[in-house]
Amino acid sequence: MVLEATMICIDNSEWMRNGDYLPSRFEAQADAVNLICGAKTQSNPENTVGILTMAGKGVRVLATPTSDLGKILGCMHGLEMGGEINIVAAIQVAQLALKHRQNKHQQQRIIVFAGSPVNYDKKVLETIGKKLKKNSVAIDIIDFGEEDDGKPEKLEALLTAVNNNGSSHIVHVSPGPNALSDVLLSTPVFTGDGEGGSDFAVAAAAGSASGFDFGVDPNIDPELALALRVSLEEERARQEAAARRAAEEASRQEKGEEPSSNAEDATTAEHGNIADPEENKDASDEMDDENPEEAQAMSIDISGSDLSVGDAEMTLEITEDRELILALEMSMQEGEDDHQSAAESLVSKVLEDQAVVSSILASIPGVDPDDPSVQEILASLRSHFEKKNEDETPNEDD
Amino acid sequence: MSGESASAIQRSQVDLVDFIDWSGVECLNQSTSHSLPNALKQGYRDDDGLNLESDADEQLLIYLPFTQVIKLHSIVIKGPEEEGPKTLKLYSNKEHMGFGNVNDFPPSDTAVLSPDNLQGKPVVLKYVKFQNVRSLTIFIEDNQSGSDITKVQKIGLLGTTVETTDMKGLKKIEDHQH
Repeated sequence: MVLEATMICIDNSEWMRNGDYLPSRFEAQADAVNLICGAKTQSNPENTVGILTMAGKGVRVLATPTSDLGKILGCMHGLEMGGEINIVAAIQVAQLALKHRQNKHQQQRIIVFAGSPVNYDKKVLETIGKKLKKNSVAIDIIDFGEEDDGKPEKLEALLTAVNNNGSSHIVHVSPGPNALSDVLLSTPVFTGDGEGGSDFAVAAAAGSASGFDFGVDPNIDPELALALRVSLEEERARQEAAARRAAEEASRQEKGEEPSSNAEDATTAEHGNIADPEENKDASDEMDDENPEEAQAMSIDISGSDLSVGDAEMTLEITEDRELILALEMSMQEGEDDHQSAAESLVSKVLEDQAVVSSILASIPGVDPDDPSVQEILASLRSHFEKKNEDETPNEDD
Repeated sequence: MSGESASAIQRSQVDLVDFIDWSGVECLNQSTSHSLPNALKQGYRDDDGLNLESDADEQLLIYLPFTQVIKLHSIVIKGPEEEGPKTLKLYSNKEHMGFGNVNDFPPSDTAVLSPDNLQGKPVVLKYVKFQNVRSLTIFIEDNQSGSDITKVQKIGLLGTTVETTDMKGLKKIEDHQH
């Protein structure tokens, strides 16, 4: 969470047309730049990032350090390749841009993508390095692309000249099937000196591999992640319910459940789901009046879930309540009519068990089972279920 | 004459280390293990074993903001005979300078330290130039022996704060200066 101003030096020389990194060196680099910008701004909202190009007609600053991610990503568009890079001038310009940053408390960092050959002497690079060190600027060098002899040594020399207590790093990426950005994710460029700024890296890695969980890292914002997850389940449950009921009950709407859903997609059902045994599609109608209030009174998890039934498979991993699992499985196997009542009866049984409910509630972050409003609602639900049971199935106990 | 006035003035001087705003203190080119607090903070600076040392080369740029406006009378710089600082340039009220722009403006005062000064004798400054100081930048340009590392054992600042300045005392000082 270091407060940092970063200048990224992009290599847009002719050597970037090469396709040894998929799809081309330039695109792999652009990808990596996007990831870095995201990582920096996410690890600390006050971080700023700027971009400059090293080749082309000359060193050109595309964006001065700003925390506006959109602007940074926008200026990456329409970049043309050509010429060769001028590392020395680029680093000096980057240093100047950082010197004039708005927030003087930010640490200064330069990230250099060195994809083409480096034509400068080691000595020159060392002098530049010393200047950077003197002005307490850290540097991250990404050595990829062209591998002519001498390039790694020169870059290492630059690094040693700048390095002050390990705040500067160099990464050598050889061409291969792995994308440049994937390789970088595990390096200190992202993890920031091993401070643990790797949350983003981990999330991004998971995201790129398996579909990011709602774009929010559960480590950083558990409540939001949970809320999104639950609303997701609701959506899916709702859709399944709607599909199932399309044949029979077109009139029943799940109005009550919606207020709490934030309408995101993607999901892995969660204990939030299990925690809502009291809700049931059938019950929703009669509970419509109560639901909006519930949704507001309790955390999103409790009143929201539309369906524990439909999502049985996914929810199983977190459940502590065997009865519930049973109910879910049964509901999946049995016919629609049956399952509703069976689930309901089980659900009401579960509800009656105060201890079970308390434990479920306790497992949800943000809900205090001793909270009077929560207890009130539970009591009302319970009585409601009792009423329903009397009405519908004569052979229910209680 | 100046000796007399110097001692008369010094009677009312206060050690300004209490008025330094620590949150804004910066020092460029210091070595991480031998950093500025070693030379400034009460306990550390009296310990001759704890120094402020320079890192990449022999220059040091120290930026000291103050919590209130002060008048700076003199400074005390203690350092080893060989690696202690020699030429000092002081800039008042210039924020966030870098090594690149130290030469862009004339310093408020320049001091060349003699071995006496390095033992702790205060260097009297041009008081008129430091009447209204919110922040002080000390640029140590080189050291006594020209070595690669400059070492400073203690930096002390003597002066008065604006609110507590005794007007009568101030007049007297002006008389002597002119």
